[in-house]
Amino acid sequence: MGDSTTICRDVPLLLSSFVDAFVDFSFSGFFLPQKSDSNSPKQNPNQTLTPPPPPELQTRYPSPDRLVAIGDLHGDLNKSKQALKLAGLIDGSDRWIGGNTTVVQIGDVLDRGDDELKIVYFLEKLKHEASKCGGLIITMNGNHEIMNIDGDFRYVTPSSLDEFRAWANWYCIGNSMKNLCSGLDKKQRDLFEGIPRVFPGIRKEFHEGFRARIAALRPSGPISGRFLSGNPTVLVIGDSVFVHGGLLKNHVEYGLERINEEVRDWIKGLKGRFSPRFVRGRDSVVWLRRFSEELARDCDCSALEHVLATIPGAKRMIMGHTIQEVGINGVCDNRAIRIDVGMSKGCGNGLPEVLEIEGDRNQNSSELRVLTSNPVYLTRKYNNPTMKTPEQKEGLGFLIPEHQPKQLEVKS
Amino acid sequence: MGQAQSDVSDVNQSNQEEAPVRNDSSPTSLEDLIAEATAFGDDENEVSARNKVSLDAKAQKALECPCVAELRSGPCGTQFSQAFVCFIKSTAEEKGSDCVHPFVALQNCIKANPNAFSKDVLDEDESKKEEEHTEEYKIIPPTWAKEQKSKL
Repeated sequence: MGDSTTICRDVPLLLSSFVDAFVDFSFSGFFLPQKSDSNSPKQNPNQTLTPPPPPELQTRYPSPDRLVAIGDLHGDLNKSKQALKLAGLIDGSDRWIGGNTTVVQIGDVLDRGDDELKIVYFLEKLKHEASKCGGLIITMNGNHEIMNIDGDFRYVTPSSLDEFRAWANWYCIGNSMKNLCSGLDKKQRDLFEGIPRVFPGIRKEFHEGFRARIAALRPSGPISGRFLSGNPTVLVIGDSVFVHGGLLKNHVEYGLERINEEVRDWIKGLKGRFSPRFVRGRDSVVWLRRFSEELARDCDCSALEHVLATIPGAKRMIMGHTIQEVGINGVCDNRAIRIDVGMSKGCGNGLPEVLEIEGDRNQNSSELRVLTSNPVYLTRKYNNPTMKTPEQKEGLGFLIPEHQPKQLEVKS
Repeated sequence: MGQAQSDVSDVNQSNQEEAPVRNDSSPTSLEDLIAEATAFGDDENEVSARNKVSLDAKAQKALECPCVAELRSGPCGTQFSQAFVCFIKSTAEEKGSDCVHPFVALQNCIKANPNAFSKDVLDEDESKKEEEHTEEYKIIPPTWAKEQKSKL
């Protein structure tokens, strides 16, 4: 008797993680670790009055042995996988083989393609696989993440709405399963709470899809809260600063940690509906193009120089956001590295390229290399900002073919 | 754990004659068993084998708990039970990843019976409430989604 009481005490929590696993699997085909896994510390399912403080959002990291930076993905799952394969990070069955590599995805997973949630789930699966091998995958917020959380759906594709509807369908089934358990006495929050059923001016056949998209991505929505709120907006890893658009002096003065935390709190639904000012508008950290204009002469190198000088240890800024038709490149003496190659077939359909940085802590140097699927170059390698060479062309880091006898050792 | 769950402990278990449950001196909660089974590898020793038997019995008992009573009834009750028991017994690192077959079976059943687990009436007044609340959820739609304005 006492025994079955003990068992039944555990069942609501178990049911909850079962349903979560089932919903994940049914939508994505993956089994992801659940929050309430039995191997995590025990907790009472009803003890939710005081939520635990959100996990610390790390803004600065020491330089890893190997870092791979990946640009805008925009809903193209195939190209995303190609980019990861290019860098030897996943194998033929899409499992992590990147060892202890650190990966930075510069944001803009959403919009312009049909597989947005599939990429989000896939990267989540990879994050867990990587962490087991000592690797790390950091996904960042781009302007398209911010826009979608804000309800700005201008760059959404029609088929993406089907993906969100399918997700919402499984999510709601999961909710009703949980609601059938009397032991989970808190009723699941209705996914569509507060969301209108009709949208004047919008064609009827899309209403349901937009409802699902709002529900998933609005602040504290199940997708935004679970997958996007942990994204940093600004990152400093070793001597590189990562940001989707770019940083200006006032952003640094505002505080990089503060930017990350305020965006996180907004996505978690703690700051109302609308995004913080520093992620909106052309001079914001996710929209800025001042250092990513394709023509080098349009880039404000002296402003960049000043910004980098205010971030201790920073030698370069690595950005996405602006499509580089020539591929990944550097300007301003390679202090501005631009990695958005427009690989998504929804915009540009460019050949995947990723940036690889190998650090050498002893020599305090790092080596930047472009890994490309463009058959014209096997790899392209950048010279160091401090080592100018006559070959260096305006607007482009100079290229060293793979067969070059000696690679340039860069000290930075 | 669990001061709030008094309703669960009031229920008396009908089939006590089920599989023998070992009462070691150790605690018998499901989570502990799962944790133990996970900690020891499959081929480890008797202890883990015993735990597995025990876990099996516990998983079966879990099905008798009031929390899942309604889920076990209805068109997908069988598929639910199998998937849930498999999940409870799962010692895989991503819990449940060794349950693909029962999960797919449950998935297919739900696809064939979309309302398998929905409470029929309950949602109706909810939706009315919703419409009253149609707040300021303004979105900026893509151009392809806009209604065509007839040009005159």
